[in-house]
Amino acid sequence: MTDHFSADLLWEVTKGWNSYQVKRRSGGGVNFSRDPLNLLNKQTRKHTGFINDQAIGITPSEKGVTLTTKKGGDKANKPASHRHTSGLKGSGRKSYSTVVSSTAKRGYRADLRQAAVARTSAIQNSQREKKDRPAAKPRGVKAKKAEE
Amino acid sequence: MTSRPTVTIIGADGKGSNKSHPLPAVFLAPIRPDIVQIVHTGMAKNKRQPYAVSEKAGHQTSAESWGTGRAVARIPRVSGSGTHRAGQAAFGNMCRSGRMFAPTKVWRKWHQKINLGQKRFATASAVAASSNAALLMARGHNVSAVPEVPLVISSTAFSLTKTAGAVKLLRAVGAGPDIDKVKKSKKLRAGRGKSRGRRFRQRRGPLVVYDAEEDGLELARNFRNIPGVESCPVHSLNLLQLAPGGHLGRFIIWTSAAFAALDKVYGSTTEPSLLKKDFLLPSAVVKQPDLNKLINSSEIQAVLRPTKGSGIHKRTIVQKKNPLRNHHVMLRLNPYTAQYAKDKLGQAKIPLEKKNKLNEDFVTTFKSD
Repeated sequence: MTDHFSADLLWEVTKGWNSYQVKRRSGGGVNFSRDPLNLLNKQTRKHTGFINDQAIGITPSEKGVTLTTKKGGDKANKPASHRHTSGLKGSGRKSYSTVVSSTAKRGYRADLRQAAVARTSAIQNSQREKKDRPAAKPRGVKAKKAEE
Repeated sequence: MTSRPTVTIIGADGKGSNKSHPLPAVFLAPIRPDIVQIVHTGMAKNKRQPYAVSEKAGHQTSAESWGTGRAVARIPRVSGSGTHRAGQAAFGNMCRSGRMFAPTKVWRKWHQKINLGQKRFATASAVAASSNAALLMARGHNVSAVPEVPLVISSTAFSLTKTAGAVKLLRAVGAGPDIDKVKKSKKLRAGRGKSRGRRFRQRRGPLVVYDAEEDGLELARNFRNIPGVESCPVHSLNLLQLAPGGHLGRFIIWTSAAFAALDKVYGSTTEPSLLKKDFLLPSAVVKQPDLNKLINSSEIQAVLRPTKGSGIHKRTIVQKKNPLRNHHVMLRLNPYTAQYAKDKLGQAKIPLEKKNKLNEDFVTTFKSD
């Protein structure tokens, strides 16, 4: 069954059009992907998650990130049960090592190691509460006036 | 093919039963988006009705050209006086109230003949593509809750009398998100189509394929009022429904009777179809579509010559190293350096006699006038 549809074939069929595609003429003709299993949101053979047998998805959740991977074997034709998700609560380097140890270190898409860590980091960065900038200290004439 | 894979038949509650059905051979037909697209564009044209502007439009005047010498363009002009129309240009496509450029005619070629073999190929290909979850997702179907693709539901689950029951069944088997997507997508059409019976546009939902004899025509009536859901008897599958827009991967819900009938309808690559005259299912030209497996197969590897200079990599953009300071770069450029250094030739003293021996040529040149 899965032999009939290799990722190579699926890529050739879907690279011209697919529902995840975001193609715009602006920005020098971007070609992005909305695929949740795409770490760089780029429409390329390597990063397009829905066609590859193995793929990693990292999405923001309430607290931290959610790590999604595809299950192998005969699960490819069972959409309801073929994804494995796990929530990562920790932040910073600990969660990077969790991401890596549950994917790349097990030989699961080792080529996406860097992208996975980078995405985790970017999501966590966006979740961090922003500190207000400290009030500007008066300088020069204003400082002298303030002293008086 | 070693063993034919099987597909679980799912019950009315959406849970897999212990019944299963071997995958019909049509699902192994080659995936050919090019053929599907060509056939689809042809088929989509075959429902058109002729239209044209009136034969007389723009020509219902007795205009004549004034010729040269009147300091106006030589276009035909409406004759007479006493009305504003007199003296105005007529007929031309550039004129007000003139005829259009190349007036449309009812005898335009509206319909396309499509080769039967191509049509059957495209249908088989579209059916095969509907068995892959990735292609369904690429088409935009929301199948994340579907237990298995192709989705086969026991025919007994379809003995319904109400649309509400049909909706309940669809939700139970994981088609709920796809129906909701259709419902949300209903938009007013842009342009004149609104007044021409195409007021709204919306996505397509699942296609329910049934066997008219086994399941009964009642089934179509149960599903026809659910937005986006279409139904089709298995004996007359329609490419416009199997690949809307020419895009492969329609989400199909098969009744178990329809699924079982597929082998009879399409036959296999070796056994001709019972219902279609002279039809064998097409088989893929390349049996192994996985490039990695192909390249790493023992058959390919056996005939490849061993790599030449495998240890040497072409260095593209690297920092240039100074060979006079970097010993290893020097070795790469001049392998003799190794022996030179080993023999300590750089430190060796020149033998005395050799040092004192004058070059005879030099001496003769020096002494000569």
